[in-house]
Amino acid sequence: MQKFIRINMTTLQSTITEVPEKYVGLGGRALTSSFVNDEVIPTCHALGKNNKIIFAPGLLSGTSAPNSGRMSVGAKSPLTGTIKESNTGGSSSQMLAKLGIKAFVIEGKPDNTTFYVIKLDINGVTIEEAPAEILGGCGNYEAIRILGEKYGKHVGIALAGPAGEYRMPAANISFKDPEGNIRSAGRGGLGAVLGSKNVKAIVIDETGAGAVPIADPEAFRAASKVFSKAILDHPVAGTGLALYGTDVLVNILNEAGGLPARNFTAGRIEHNDNISGETLNATITERGGEGKVSHGCHKGCIIRCSQWYPDKQGKYITSGFEYETIWGLGADAGIEDLDAIAYIDRAMDDVGIDSIETAVAVATAMDGGLIPWGDGKAVLQIVEDMAKPTPLARIIAGGAAVVGKVCGLYRTPVVKDQAIPAYDPRAIKGIGLTYATTTMGADHTAGYCISGNILKIGGFIDPLKKEGQIEYARAMQIGTAAIDSTGMCLFVYFGVADNPGGYQALIDMINAQYGIQLTSDDVDELGKTVLRIERDFNKRAGFTNAHDRLPEFMEYEPIAPHNVVWDFTPEEIDEVMKF
Amino acid sequence: MEKSSTALEIRGFLQLDAYLKKKFGKTPVYLEIEAPLSGLELSKQLEIDRDDIEVIFVNGFVQEVDYILNPGDRVAFLPPGCPGPYRIALGFYGKNQGNEANFKIKNK
Repeated sequence: MQKFIRINMTTLQSTITEVPEKYVGLGGRALTSSFVNDEVIPTCHALGKNNKIIFAPGLLSGTSAPNSGRMSVGAKSPLTGTIKESNTGGSSSQMLAKLGIKAFVIEGKPDNTTFYVIKLDINGVTIEEAPAEILGGCGNYEAIRILGEKYGKHVGIALAGPAGEYRMPAANISFKDPEGNIRSAGRGGLGAVLGSKNVKAIVIDETGAGAVPIADPEAFRAASKVFSKAILDHPVAGTGLALYGTDVLVNILNEAGGLPARNFTAGRIEHNDNISGETLNATITERGGEGKVSHGCHKGCIIRCSQWYPDKQGKYITSGFEYETIWGLGADAGIEDLDAIAYIDRAMDDVGIDSIETAVAVATAMDGGLIPWGDGKAVLQIVEDMAKPTPLARIIAGGAAVVGKVCGLYRTPVVKDQAIPAYDPRAIKGIGLTYATTTMGADHTAGYCISGNILKIGGFIDPLKKEGQIEYARAMQIGTAAIDSTGMCLFVYFGVADNPGGYQALIDMINAQYGIQLTSDDVDELGKTVLRIERDFNKRAGFTNAHDRLPEFMEYEPIAPHNVVWDFTPEEIDEVMKF
Repeated sequence: MEKSSTALEIRGFLQLDAYLKKKFGKTPVYLEIEAPLSGLELSKQLEIDRDDIEVIFVNGFVQEVDYILNPGDRVAFLPPGCPGPYRIALGFYGKNQGNEANFKIKNK
């Protein structure tokens, strides 16, 4: 029996039931978004007692399927006011799946200021007061160490860092990875939701758990083999991501003129070589020590896009050092030193704050005169101050929209109050349509996967022209919503897009695990259903098509080097979600 | 050397970044050309393996490898390995269909 767990923080009681019938066939984002739409009052305050937060492994999580260890977390977002699904790696998703936990929900809110640790294991749920030493500004690295000593070295951990404790709108949820470092359900402020419920940490102990049941093990193994090959045969896995990480995109986007710089006033920088994936690789290789060019954020990852970035002495600074973080601090905020960016990245992980929102907020603050341009030391201090927090730290942790208002700026790069990441919509129009229309607020991962004929969808796309872009943004969002429901890392994209056998193998694995007969049309339909559910929530929360728009300045401030503006009409944008 | 109005400004990404830095000391590489030439011809001059090129950038736009380069152009060689949907969004598929240098899965 798969379990559905509800933890009520008002009463400090939990209930464990069978999975409700309507959620039996769902996982990951499909499950979290369905639940939030079913049970969360859309107009509720995201930090009030009526919001609920749900954690769900994907359909394939806990199996031997490669790259299937992702977890979805869902709630109403305090940053955007929309529905939110935030996705993470780390160890927790696979542990939950092995414990037979389909999902767990945290609802209600204590009437006191006591923070708690929720423990999930083979015996059920335990709610205990959080150790005092992990509260009141204790960093996540130290908190993970202390919780490991108390509950065991191999447990899974999800944390509201200091930023979550203080209910900052950009707070993330930090997840322990296999080595005890940090992965994040980054966007949308779900760490603040956890903090609002006085939950400091969730500990998952898989001791005694069995293997995830597979209906047809032989068929599963065969499909898994095909899927692995589709990924490993592709140069993105073998070369691009494994050697250079996602930061490989700095040079590529810079060359394309789509790398937003200096608070989105330019599309290209001169110091790209300082912060590129190629330099990241060379630096890690040269420094040696604890540095690793390639690393997986969860067991079973065969793409290994993560890395361990060391200091000059070879000592670990940070991992999961992503393109969007490096872009935000390096290009948008103009910090030219990769080491300075790495220390800020570590500090953001330590306080538990979304590195995209924070980087864009910082660049907006620089544009507004609150912080000197390119001042890495000042930014590091502000991020560290989020653990106190100082007023300026609180303002930055409020996100880019808050900073823009505080600074009296019209140039604030947000959609639905969430910061636009790393790819300028004026120079890469298809991504702009996704930013405008996604249910999540600006989010590059909302339009990341495709399930249909790639050449039919993208065979004629020119980044600066309108032709084909509506179909592209629609297909990408549908495909992503489906993949987000499987527990698969979105980076399997190339294995399914460039190799039709890879996509079929993914479906075959799901069928073999559950003993069902899904078709590719069913998976497409799942993606569409997820988007409809999310849009329904947002509509009932007060969002209309008028919110599906990019910031106005992009319509009249051309971006160099191509000197282009955003020129899609409202009517054209609204076509994206018509399916 | 500094760039003149007739020199190509050349970069390489992924493994070609280290390759060009080793070969020429630094990037970008500036190369005087007297007449237009294709990206493929330039790659041969630079001794870049054909399998190491998925697309080229010319003046900020993705083009197929045999696109004609003119004096003064900014060019970058991109090997297979660019992740994410940007392969579509930047026009890899749109500009490179039917080209021998387009992405191909190499069975290992």
